[in-house]
Amino acid sequence: MTLFHFGNCFALAYFPYFITYKCSGLSEYNAFWRCVQAGATYLFVQLCKMLFLATFFPTWEGGAGVYDFVGEFMKATVDLADLLGLHLVMSRNAGKGEYKIMVAAMGWATAELVMSRCIPLWVGARGIEFDWKYIQMSFDSNISLVHYIAMAAVVWMFTRYDLPKSFRLPVTVLLGLCVYKAFLMECLDCTAKAILTFYCFNTFM
Amino acid sequence: MFEEASEVFDNMFKSSFPLTFIVFIPAVLILVSPLPAEAAHEFTVYRMQQYDLQGQPYGTRNAILNTEARTVEAEVLSRRCVIMRLVDFSYERYQKALRQSAGAVVIILPKNMSTMPQDIVQQFMELEPEMLATETIVPVYFALEDDELLSIYTQTLTSSSSQGSSSAAEVLIHTATANGFQMVTSGAQSKAVSDWSITSLEGRLAGTGGEDLPTIVLVAHYDSFGVAPWLSYGADSNGSGVSMLLELARLFSRLYTYKRTHAGYNLLFFVSGGGKFNYQGTKRWLEDNLDHTDSSLLQDNVAFVLCLDTLGNGDSLHLHVSKPPKEGTPQYALLKELETVVSSQYPEVKFSMVHKKINLADDTLAWEHERFGIRRLPAFTLSHLNSHREAQRSSIMDVRPHVDLRKLSRNTKLIAEALARVIYNLTEKGAPGDLQIFTEQMVQEEQLSSVVDWLTAQPRAAQLVDKDSSVVSTLEYHLGRYLKDVRRHYVKADKRDPEFVFYDQLKQTMNAYRVKPAIFDLLLAVCIAAYLGVIYLAIQHFGVLYSLVRRITAPKTKQH
Repeated sequence: MTLFHFGNCFALAYFPYFITYKCSGLSEYNAFWRCVQAGATYLFVQLCKMLFLATFFPTWEGGAGVYDFVGEFMKATVDLADLLGLHLVMSRNAGKGEYKIMVAAMGWATAELVMSRCIPLWVGARGIEFDWKYIQMSFDSNISLVHYIAMAAVVWMFTRYDLPKSFRLPVTVLLGLCVYKAFLMECLDCTAKAILTFYCFNTFM
Repeated sequence: MFEEASEVFDNMFKSSFPLTFIVFIPAVLILVSPLPAEAAHEFTVYRMQQYDLQGQPYGTRNAILNTEARTVEAEVLSRRCVIMRLVDFSYERYQKALRQSAGAVVIILPKNMSTMPQDIVQQFMELEPEMLATETIVPVYFALEDDELLSIYTQTLTSSSSQGSSSAAEVLIHTATANGFQMVTSGAQSKAVSDWSITSLEGRLAGTGGEDLPTIVLVAHYDSFGVAPWLSYGADSNGSGVSMLLELARLFSRLYTYKRTHAGYNLLFFVSGGGKFNYQGTKRWLEDNLDHTDSSLLQDNVAFVLCLDTLGNGDSLHLHVSKPPKEGTPQYALLKELETVVSSQYPEVKFSMVHKKINLADDTLAWEHERFGIRRLPAFTLSHLNSHREAQRSSIMDVRPHVDLRKLSRNTKLIAEALARVIYNLTEKGAPGDLQIFTEQMVQEEQLSSVVDWLTAQPRAAQLVDKDSSVVSTLEYHLGRYLKDVRRHYVKADKRDPEFVFYDQLKQTMNAYRVKPAIFDLLLAVCIAAYLGVIYLAIQHFGVLYSLVRRITAPKTKQH
């Protein structure tokens, strides 16, 4: 029943996108082609990011345990290109705010789903061996959808000239969180481990 | 949405032909691509013997398997792979698995056989011939234990033993959490190996003093046998015999280099192959030498043929004969010399002659000397075993610890002394019984030890040793250092009526994949459907959720 399992994972990953597309009213605006354009922009932005990272960030040779904070920070900064890409997509689409956000986010998230999840699922979930990570991957894509919608909304808010002054700071903070999310998680992880080992060391000494 | 999608695809088709190719060819390729192999655990398995001897098939007939794993305690065993550990192995359980037409049987052997208690080893040794005696279509494999395999076994054990007795709820929880294993072998179905040639080696030391000297032939077969060819190391049977033969060759070649000790006997040494398969090497060698050659040492004056078989342990020596030797013959002389040497120099050894008539109606011959006896050459076999039916002659448990080096070197010295007394006619010349011809240092224990170590380092089943094998070439080199005229002799099965047929696919790689039962997939589908339903409702009524969130955060803004 391994093809069935692949079907399960695919349904879990893809159906929420389908439901979101249908129910958010995008279908009434003939937005399919625009979503595909947003997806193409995603591909282009990812390609640029990869080239940039490969050119300017050589492989870091160092100890396995030490985390290169500065290097990883610089790498995470490149993710700003994501925000720029979203802004580009939204600025090219004429229409209401919600329409722009939804089109950009849907296209972006669908492109990410197809590019980074379809092939591992096809290759892995179809095999005889069972692993929980495929269900995890599919569920991850749902969370990514919500994340990209939020990100697009925050980018749109940032570019509005009529945004109340009091909202500027929270919006900027949220934008920062979006970009540096993975980096911050790693930092927290490292510091937590360091504190834990220090604590254990002290307890046993 | 589908209308728009179809519109897009239409445009794509109409606009450019190459574009459709770029889109479709990878899709088709991915669809027909074979599934990759990602195994939970990959390990080597060794198949049980499969061979035909004189038209009679033995052993397992099948090699491929792709079945779920179970242990013997499970209720349903048919078309499942039954895993057993050696400690739990018993013939009834094995028969139970075969009766229920199991898909396969895998027996897990400990890495180090010496950690097993003796009674289990003995019991398994006795069961091996019974397992081989009947032909079975169920593939039987042996695997060496490691940690992962052990964990797979324990997991299968818990899931198999809990199958019968549990309520529906327990079964449901069980399916979600348990791990099943699918055992798959990579490899094809087994088929007969054509043109397999069994190699034997001969070498000689010529005696001095004219033509027509009597010949003494010393024979030992170098191949081993066990329930699995790749696991049969044959330490005592017959690694001990071969090492003793090499040592005797060395000793007598040293004696024959000096004119003073050059005796009037030709010594012919023969290391035969296919010994465990009814002595095929010896049979063909005899045919070639006696029927097809004009002159051969075997045709003229043969004093006797001494076959060495399993002499690495034990405190008894048995001289197996098919006809008790008559007085005045060289065989009788050897018998007497052996008795003399044992009684005067090695009183702890119990020596006896065992008389067993050749029974041509039997499937296989008992000892190697019977081949010579059939051709009317006087022959006997020396062994510490009393009967040819002893289980340790053909067991995979016969590994290096089974050979006691001191006893092997004692037996070598004993036989060397007795042979020397016959060759140099010492008893007639009045030499006393306790005269030691070979002093302690002459029989080199290190040499014996290293030969036995080398022989037991690799499996020497007849199906695995072909003419390019390192075993044969090393033995050839070794014999060539001491003997002259070292020659190879090949045996190939007859095309129309083969005496022996070997099959391949004796060593396979088995993969154990973690699988979930089918119920699990259905359960997962139901859960995912429920989740999607919830998502759909949430999105449909998103407005409700939004106003709820506003109401919760509203009190803060109302204060402004």
